[in-house]
Amino acid sequence: MMRRFPQIAPPLIALAILLVAWELGVRYGFLKPYQFPPVSRIASGFVELSTIGFPTGVSIWSHTLTTLVRVLLGYVGALALAIPLGVVIGSFQVLDKLTAPLVVFCRSVATLSLLPLVIVWFGAGELTKVFLIGYGCFWVMLSNVIAGVRYVDPVLVRAARTFGLHGGELFRRVVLPAALPRIFAGARMALGVGFMVIVGAEMIGTIEGLGALIMEARTFYRSEITIIGMLIIGVIGFAISAGLTALERLLLPWAGNLDAVRR
Amino acid sequence: MLDHDNLARCALRRSEAPVAKRTTSPFLQFIAINSVGKTFAARTGSSISVLDCVDLTIAENEFVSFVGRSGCGKTTLLNIIAGLEDATQGQITIAGRPVTGPGQGQGVVFQQHALFPWLTAVDNVAFGFRKSGLNKTDRRQKAMDLLTLVGLEAAASKYPREMSGGMQQRVSIARALALDPQILLMDEPFGALDELTRIELQHELLRIWEAQRKTVVFVTHSINEALMLSDRIVLLAPNPGRIKRVFDVDLPRPRSRTEPRFNALYEEIWDELST
Ligand SMILES: Nc1ncnc2c1ncn2[C@@H]1O[C@H](COP(=O)(O)OP(=O)(O)OP(=O)(O)O)[C@@H](O)[C@H]1O
Ligand SMILES: [Mg+2]
Repeated sequence: MMRRFPQIAPPLIALAILLVAWELGVRYGFLKPYQFPPVSRIASGFVELSTIGFPTGVSIWSHTLTTLVRVLLGYVGALALAIPLGVVIGSFQVLDKLTAPLVVFCRSVATLSLLPLVIVWFGAGELTKVFLIGYGCFWVMLSNVIAGVRYVDPVLVRAARTFGLHGGELFRRVVLPAALPRIFAGARMALGVGFMVIVGAEMIGTIEGLGALIMEARTFYRSEITIIGMLIIGVIGFAISAGLTALERLLLPWAGNLDAVRR
Repeated sequence: MLDHDNLARCALRRSEAPVAKRTTSPFLQFIAINSVGKTFAARTGSSISVLDCVDLTIAENEFVSFVGRSGCGKTTLLNIIAGLEDATQGQITIAGRPVTGPGQGQGVVFQQHALFPWLTAVDNVAFGFRKSGLNKTDRRQKAMDLLTLVGLEAAASKYPREMSGGMQQRVSIARALALDPQILLMDEPFGALDELTRIELQHELLRIWEAQRKTVVFVTHSINEALMLSDRIVLLAPNPGRIKRVFDVDLPRPRSRTEPRFNALYEEIWDELST
């Protein structure tokens, strides 16, 4: 720990200098506070948000909880569909060939561009938001699951065949474990997509959620609130991603060399 | 599949350029490779011929080595014997039965590391006992015995990524032995080992081969290694892969590199390989 300290000290010092310069820059009129709200503003904004709330009565915690629930609903739903479907598609070359263009196409459509259409389908309520998150997560997850199952090192399959494995047993004992690292990577990527979509999805038809908070803050020139919302989304994304990494370490201790491609 | 054109063409080839005397005794035809050819579809749409008119019989308990330049089709031929790939022409029989897939007594040590990365060393070896009918504890116990045999009992709980290339190769050998195969197909199994370990494992392999009466088909780039181990050395030539010559290694075991006959054979094979 002690030895590590000198390594993290320089970036911390640099950050502190930047923040102080920022604060002073605003105080002496070089930076406009609504463009670059200083740390003191952000801190007082945070206190306001966690006590009175913004809009009044809706605290930062309930914004956060609402967003979390939406993301997790869409994310879990997408995973629950994409994993079995991807396993089936990946197991049959024909299915993969047939569906590949569709998967690539749907994955490439910017999720938020579907917003107007989805509102027409599901209205501007909860379902629309969860659907959009689910859509974004689903295609990313699906293409990773397919690739994981499909491109198992052929020499492993050959080795297993020499030991008399075939069919379902070959799949369970070799193809699936070999695909797991890729499936995990897909789950991490899908989560990132979920958080990218959420802010946009919450910008309409709701006053609750971090995306709504960010938009509402804009209307009132409360840039510090926008920054707080942004920071919280970042922290949540970071925490869940770290959780997934820990889970992967636990479940796939053999795949340690994936550290390099983790991001 | 009997392709008469192919058989006739290969018979003609044999009479023009004999590589070895052919045996007709069924005892000496444990593995019979009959006019085997293999073509791969190339990406350009054309096809490349990788093996052509390979004729060879291997007797039960024989130790045969394949040597030849890189890319001459040794691995491909081994895979066909293993039943992992189909010959496009000709046929291979083991004890008279055509090879239609793995599981006819062939155990394989692959050229690339083919250990399951999600299993520890001992579990990789225990995987080889999967179809043996043993329960889990017995499988692990026997796997430990095999790891001890290859000198890796201390690495039993390591994952492949935590082992050196040579260690992984030894685990692969132990895993192939777990199957207790009649035929051991080994593709450059000692390529990644240091000289000392290699010589130790060569001795170990000979000991296993003599004690358990296995038939071994062994691919190597080292003429020395082939001479130390084999009853016969099959020299393959590339483009398309075919048998150029078969050498009988009529040296008593244990062999020594200092024997004049050893060196004479070495020179002979070297000359044939390099022309
Ligand atoms: N799946 C494949 N598709 C197309 N060509 C292939 C395929 N597998 C092997 N070949 C070609 O067949 C030839 C023989 O390959 P093989 O792996 O049998 O050689 P080898 O004698 O084992 O070589 P090495 O000593 O380098 O291991 C090579 O020219 C290779 O390019
Ligand atoms: Mg090879």
